[in-house]
Amino acid sequence: MSVVELANVTKTFGKHVAVDRLSFAVPPGSIYGFIGPNGSGKTTTLRMIMRIYHPDGGEGHIRVLGEETLQAANEKIGYLPEERGLYKKMKVRDILAFFAQLKGRRSPRPAIDAWLARMELSSWADKKVEALSKGMAQKVQFIAAVVADPQLVILDEPFSGLDPVNSDRLREAVLSLRGAGATVIFSTHDMAVAERMCDFILMIHKGRKVLDGTLESIQATYGQDTIRVRLEGNHRDLGAIRDVEKVTDFGQLQELRVRHGADTQAVLSALMHRGRLAHFELARPSLHDIFVRIAGADDLSRDREGAVSTASGDSSDSRERGRA
Amino acid sequence: MRKVIVVAMREYLASVRTKAFIITIIAMPVMMGGSILAQVLLRDKVDIGDKRIAVLDQSGFLHGAIADAAEQRNATEVYRGAGEDRRQIQPRFVIEAVDDPAGDPARVSLALSERVRKKELFAYLIIEADALHPMNDAAQSTIGYHSDSPTYDDFLEWVRIPLNERIHDVRLRELGLDPVIVSSAMKRAAVRNLGLVSLDEQGRVTEAQETNRVAGVLVPVALMMLMFMVIMVGASPLLQGVLEEKMQRIAEVLLGSMTPFELMSGKLLGSVGVSLSIVGVYMAGAFYALHRSGYGSLFPVDLVVWFVIYQSLAVLLYGSLFMAIGAAVSDMKEAQSVLTPVMFILVAPMFVWFNVIREPGATFAVVLSLIPPATPMLMLVRQAVPPGIPLWQPMAGVILVLLTTAVCVFIAGRVFRVGILMQGQGAKLRDLARWIIHG
Repeated sequence: MSVVELANVTKTFGKHVAVDRLSFAVPPGSIYGFIGPNGSGKTTTLRMIMRIYHPDGGEGHIRVLGEETLQAANEKIGYLPEERGLYKKMKVRDILAFFAQLKGRRSPRPAIDAWLARMELSSWADKKVEALSKGMAQKVQFIAAVVADPQLVILDEPFSGLDPVNSDRLREAVLSLRGAGATVIFSTHDMAVAERMCDFILMIHKGRKVLDGTLESIQATYGQDTIRVRLEGNHRDLGAIRDVEKVTDFGQLQELRVRHGADTQAVLSALMHRGRLAHFELARPSLHDIFVRIAGADDLSRDREGAVSTASGDSSDSRERGRA
Repeated sequence: MRKVIVVAMREYLASVRTKAFIITIIAMPVMMGGSILAQVLLRDKVDIGDKRIAVLDQSGFLHGAIADAAEQRNATEVYRGAGEDRRQIQPRFVIEAVDDPAGDPARVSLALSERVRKKELFAYLIIEADALHPMNDAAQSTIGYHSDSPTYDDFLEWVRIPLNERIHDVRLRELGLDPVIVSSAMKRAAVRNLGLVSLDEQGRVTEAQETNRVAGVLVPVALMMLMFMVIMVGASPLLQGVLEEKMQRIAEVLLGSMTPFELMSGKLLGSVGVSLSIVGVYMAGAFYALHRSGYGSLFPVDLVVWFVIYQSLAVLLYGSLFMAIGAAVSDMKEAQSVLTPVMFILVAPMFVWFNVIREPGATFAVVLSLIPPATPMLMLVRQAVPPGIPLWQPMAGVILVLLTTAVCVFIAGRVFRVGILMQGQGAKLRDLARWIIHG
């Protein structure tokens, strides 16, 4: 039985179709990653799973932990929204107790203290939220989502804005949740994180599902069409090499996409003519690459727009949120 | 329901634990008592230096009366207490008679004005020759009081009595009448302000009680002020609270755990609790004070019960409106402008209470007190004025307020549900209408 099951779910805001006939199923005990460009419908989908938004009427349905309504399953779900929010004037321990009580825990104190110790926040337990740094507040918010021992944890961009140390700590915590039997759904912009952590990956683009499956199965559909090289010397105009369709220059590393069925040995010899080859690797396309191939140039430009308008406080997401 | 209580508890503690709450709960009695206290304390803080007043008496028989009366006053009335505690609390009036040898009162007046400007004199009085038998034109005064301190009228008030006594005296004597007989003949009859009488157990007619005007006005006004304050303190933080949850993005976490209606109910319940705590403190204080001073039976238990009912409903009614505003706007500045009409409705009863207290039974008062937003204050005022009003009126008032509250909570719930997750600019009126109608 799936922990979360969406079948043919659509959500429109006015004329804008945020989620378009989306279906997927999250297997129990898995880490399920949502990827997709800004404004693709990730947050809307997560909010529908949380029943903060209701899908448009019709044949679609959402079932969470086997239940069709919010009330029935809610206490077994932990949620970390994309926009973080805590009462500034409350003490860390009090606010965690408040959220735990909302999830039906009557004496949450031991769990709170254990989580605070684990996230190295014990000495902040009696401080007010306004005294915390951004990273600490984010960890507190994460604890709030998981302190009530949920069966299903939904994390919207949990790693954004964390430094590497805290990021590792959070990753360990997420993995331990799975170890304890919970199912974790999280959305991320960081393809490396999704590649390394997720058992299953779902990509949404313009409200539609474009990828769904394990990393291997996704990569398999694209075949071994990627060559990673480190070329000392001239690495310009690599696109001129026969059968190379696309070049992504990372500075120290160049990634070449070759035509399907091309002779990679010929590409290798062409590269060796250009300079000294320090690294040559035949690989499956990275998730990043696949993402970019799907999202395409027009969406990348929209991505940048999104970043700009978020800074001015009016992202496409906020427009979505405006109408439910 | 448990979630509603968890939210209510948090809301309650978050309010009660703030410094603002404690300050408010202390500030109200301090402000009311303080103004009375200040007057008592400042009563003695007057300038008790002598006030020198010149009198030009052209009639020739009045300055003596003034000087005698002033002397008597200076010897007794300006002091308070006896023995060691005897202190001067008012300035002495020193009367200086002025002549007009040249027969030019205008010149004398000018000279005296100059002396007042130089602070040699405080004021001067010019009594014209016809002061005893003025023309029939009442508006034309024949006694002029000139000063440079138009707001200080103590002397003016005081001098009227000895002046007029002497004038009456002289006039009566001219007519050959004995002033003592006349004054006893002219003695005014007192009219007492009494309540109604009824039959007691023995079938005798009871004595009418002297009505207490102070209690009749003070109790309703105090209750109304308290009601206003309780609504403000109980309901208005909801606006800031909702705005905080919206701006700090707490709302989404909360709505991930409960329905908007549960969230709203919890917050409203917490606010009712806050307002009940305030009233509890004051009522307990009032009861204790009355009990200690032996007037325990005067504590208006039935009024307090009505107060608590109205107060709870008013906090729900206004609280839901404040929450809807908080959810619909995007920052405090925007909230202020939307708040103005609600505040006007809340304050409106303050403009009419005087007429309502004077005639609590008038149609005008009955109708006003049945307008739901005004009912909690005005109906209470009418009930507090003896002998009270027919029971159907407060009953009808409560039912109307209850219905209005239900409508407000419903509308606010719709606005709240959509608005709380909305970021960016505030909602337009058209958006609000759509949310309310379509849900």
